[in-house]
Amino acid sequence: MSQQQPENNNEELRVGVYVCHCGTNIAGVIDPKEVVEFAKGLPDVVHATDTLYACADSGQKQIKEDIKKHKLNRVIVSACSVRMHEATFRGAVSEAGINPFLMEMANIREQCTWAHGHDREGALEKAKDLTASAVAKSRFLTSLDMIEVPVTQKAMVIGAGVAGISAALDLADQGIQTILVEKEPTIGGVMAQLNKTFPTMDCSI
Amino acid sequence: MVDAARHPRIDVRTFTEVEKVEGFVGNFKVTLREKAKYVIADRCNGCGDCARVCPIEVPNYFDMNLAPRKAAYVPMSQSVPLVYNIDLDACIHCYKCVDACGALEAIDFSQEDKLVEEDIGAMIVATGFSHFDPSVMEEYGYSRYPNVITSMEMERLNNSAGPTAGNLIRPSDNKNPQKLAFINCVGSRDKRYNPSCSNFCCMYSIKNAILLKQMNPNVDITIYYIDIRTPSKGYEEFYDRAREMGIHFSQGRPSLITEDPETHNLFVHSEDVTLGKVMEKEYDMVMLNQAAVPQPDQNHMSSVLNVAQSPGGWFMEYHPKLRPIDSPTDGVFFAGACQGPKDIPSSVAQGSAASSRASRILQSDHWEIEPTVAVVFPERCSATTRGRACGICAKACPYGAINIFSPEIPAEVVTAKCHGCGACVAECPEDAITQLHFTDAQILAQMRAVLADKPEEKILAFRCHWCSYGGADLAGTSHFEYTANERGLRVMCSARMDTDFIYEAYRLGAGAVLYSGCHPQDCHYITGQLIGAKRASRLEKIFERMKMTDGRFRVEWISAAEGDKYARVLNEMQAVLDDIPMDDLKAEIEQLKPEMSKRLKKFPGVPGVQEAMDYSDILVDAITKQKEAA
Ligand SMILES: Cc1cc2nc3c(=O)[nH]c(=O)nc-3n(C[C@H](O)[C@H](O)[C@H](O)COP(=O)(O)OP(=O)(O)OC[C@H]3O[C@@H](n4cnc5c(N)ncnc54)[C@H](O)[C@@H]3O)c2cc1C
Ligand code: SF4
Ligand code: SF4
Ligand code: SF4
Repeated sequence: MSQQQPENNNEELRVGVYVCHCGTNIAGVIDPKEVVEFAKGLPDVVHATDTLYACADSGQKQIKEDIKKHKLNRVIVSACSVRMHEATFRGAVSEAGINPFLMEMANIREQCTWAHGHDREGALEKAKDLTASAVAKSRFLTSLDMIEVPVTQKAMVIGAGVAGISAALDLADQGIQTILVEKEPTIGGVMAQLNKTFPTMDCSI
Repeated sequence: MVDAARHPRIDVRTFTEVEKVEGFVGNFKVTLREKAKYVIADRCNGCGDCARVCPIEVPNYFDMNLAPRKAAYVPMSQSVPLVYNIDLDACIHCYKCVDACGALEAIDFSQEDKLVEEDIGAMIVATGFSHFDPSVMEEYGYSRYPNVITSMEMERLNNSAGPTAGNLIRPSDNKNPQKLAFINCVGSRDKRYNPSCSNFCCMYSIKNAILLKQMNPNVDITIYYIDIRTPSKGYEEFYDRAREMGIHFSQGRPSLITEDPETHNLFVHSEDVTLGKVMEKEYDMVMLNQAAVPQPDQNHMSSVLNVAQSPGGWFMEYHPKLRPIDSPTDGVFFAGACQGPKDIPSSVAQGSAASSRASRILQSDHWEIEPTVAVVFPERCSATTRGRACGICAKACPYGAINIFSPEIPAEVVTAKCHGCGACVAECPEDAITQLHFTDAQILAQMRAVLADKPEEKILAFRCHWCSYGGADLAGTSHFEYTANERGLRVMCSARMDTDFIYEAYRLGAGAVLYSGCHPQDCHYITGQLIGAKRASRLEKIFERMKMTDGRFRVEWISAAEGDKYARVLNEMQAVLDDIPMDDLKAEIEQLKPEMSKRLKKFPGVPGVQEAMDYSDILVDAITKQKEAA
């Protein structure tokens, strides 16, 4: 497990910014092109463009091609929530050879156009600021690798009532060595003490 | 039961307890205490000759102490494994058992407890539940009146393998009862004891009533209940069947049981809610359906296993809706009633689910974890600068992921145990820890960007990833509109919201700041929210002393389901700003800036922060220029 570094090494930054329309979800309230124009003037931004659906295959393809063409080393996607598509865009940039942690999203849909539908001007200002915020963060992003740990392929189940027994049997049937630990002299738990059990009314053991 | 004992890949260790758990996902080291049985398991063939000759009898807990067992014993004849135990507390050392065992030589009084270490990759906790002791409810007379028994005693008495071979008799005179009452919710749904529902008592009282009625259709049975809860598949039909069989149901929790000292018959006093009538009915026998409660050693186990407990004492799952099987510790899962009362079908289902969650990890020889973890700058830790590691970080960490080996050695994060809440980062008084992907420099640069233009109009909102950010998303998804002056920043947990960020926001001239995370019981980092909340209330006091206008700093706990609340809070904060004349607001901001700067003296020394400040000046220039051009 290597210690990863919190500082980046002052490499020359080449930031690409993608402002999504999300059909009319975003573009129905603000003009993404205005955000693009704004982004073009931010430090280190070498490429900025709007895109109809950033998450669609075509949108992802465009980002991947641009990474090569413009030698991008940071990607900003101003679109929806990270809870929606962070994994999508991390995947896309890493396919084009950029570390997934060098992609940053700005949430201009759930937390902007959808929440400020009647304040177009306010929404536009906010979309610009959130995009600038993502660009700013990207200046200090560093490549990170998933941390890989070894696994001892053996399980332990603590408590041998009906739940523990069922877990142990399923693990063992999947080929996993399992230690079943029970503090009493017999396994079975409460169920072993019961008379017939609902819903089937059969004997409990 | 027998299948488990016979399975070639299951190693059953009975009479064994967990002493210690160390390590992390994929790499746990568990110390087990194998208690001495004084019988050599491999030699005992389960003949029971030792028990037959043993002269000592003690109550058998397995029979709810209704019947005796010997000092040489198995809890029940179908015990798995069928290996006898010698109960040394009861034994008088007559050694008759040794003679009876004879050539097998299975009995060994020199045995001692054995500590064994096991390396495992994942763990399933299935420690079950215990039973509420109704003797504390004086009104029901349990342990005073012989014919008031608990449901567990009933299960043993009604059981063909039990002490009476299934012949249900009254303890007072060994007669078969003809008139019986069951009382539900004894110690459940009762604010004095357990406010929650025990899940399966409704069903087992109906079960036992049906079984008794099947054996003898003439018995008269009444079930006293608050509500009958039969939501699972086929359960309502089960209830219908009981009513068709003539079992009576009376709604209302009985207030008192009295006894006729001559006959030992019982009188149940209650108010039948449906009839609106106060009643007193006579029975031969009364069964108390006692609450399911956490194991007596649940608190101890929770600290051994490093898993949290829900308010009722049960083990707490990672997320009640989305990750109900996982514990907050990676590689540790829950099954069955230890996580909350569950009947057998649910316990079996959860056992299977837990095995599949665990085998995700165990099927491969490695496992990947998110790298957004804490990293120590050893040269900044007080261990290096003053020869004394303060240990505040280790105390803050909800996962015990930070080691302080000695005062001179800087704190060390065990990366694989770190869940990336950022509590240690914000708590460290020396700014000697950072969190990857959520560094001070990154967050500062973001703050500068959103506060570049007319900061006094802005509401800077710090939200935790799991809850408040989700709440903000939901506000949008539901189109609950709120002020567009909000500028959101996301960290993983409110524990990461450093006081420096809040001071810096005001120093930069922010109109208002929201400090928002999950509710304490929803925290994705066990106790992260508690740390965040403590810090937030400290800040509230500080700003009060500074005479900051009420409402310019707001602390709110907002779940991912509370989109309406997120919108409301933001609109209320906007209203606070709208109420202050702009000149007054600007004057207040200017007046407090020196106070904020004073508290930020050490901030520029934090690794990366000076760089972020220099960069931000360029960024702010660019933003202003672009906005003017538009
Ligand atoms: C009176 C009564 C009647 C019931 N009737 C029915 C019925 O008819 N049908 C039905 O579906 N459900 C019924 N139930 C519910 C049923 O008992 C539970 O669903 C079931 O027992 C839960 O199984 P479990 O494995 O989670 O827990 P348990 O049965 O409690 O098993 C837990 C096991 O873990 C062991 N253990 C505990 N702590 C440790 C430790 N620290 N180390 C090692 N081992 C430990 C215990 O000794 C025990 O063997 C009834 C319950 C009661 C009280
Ligand atoms: S030595 Fe102890 S266990 Fe053995 S027969 Fe005597 S009393 Fe029973
Ligand atoms: S809190 Fe900071 S200074 Fe104290 S031991 Fe931890 S890293 Fe070192
Ligand atoms: S406090 Fe949080 S961030 Fe720090 S080591 Fe513990 S889990 Fe990781």
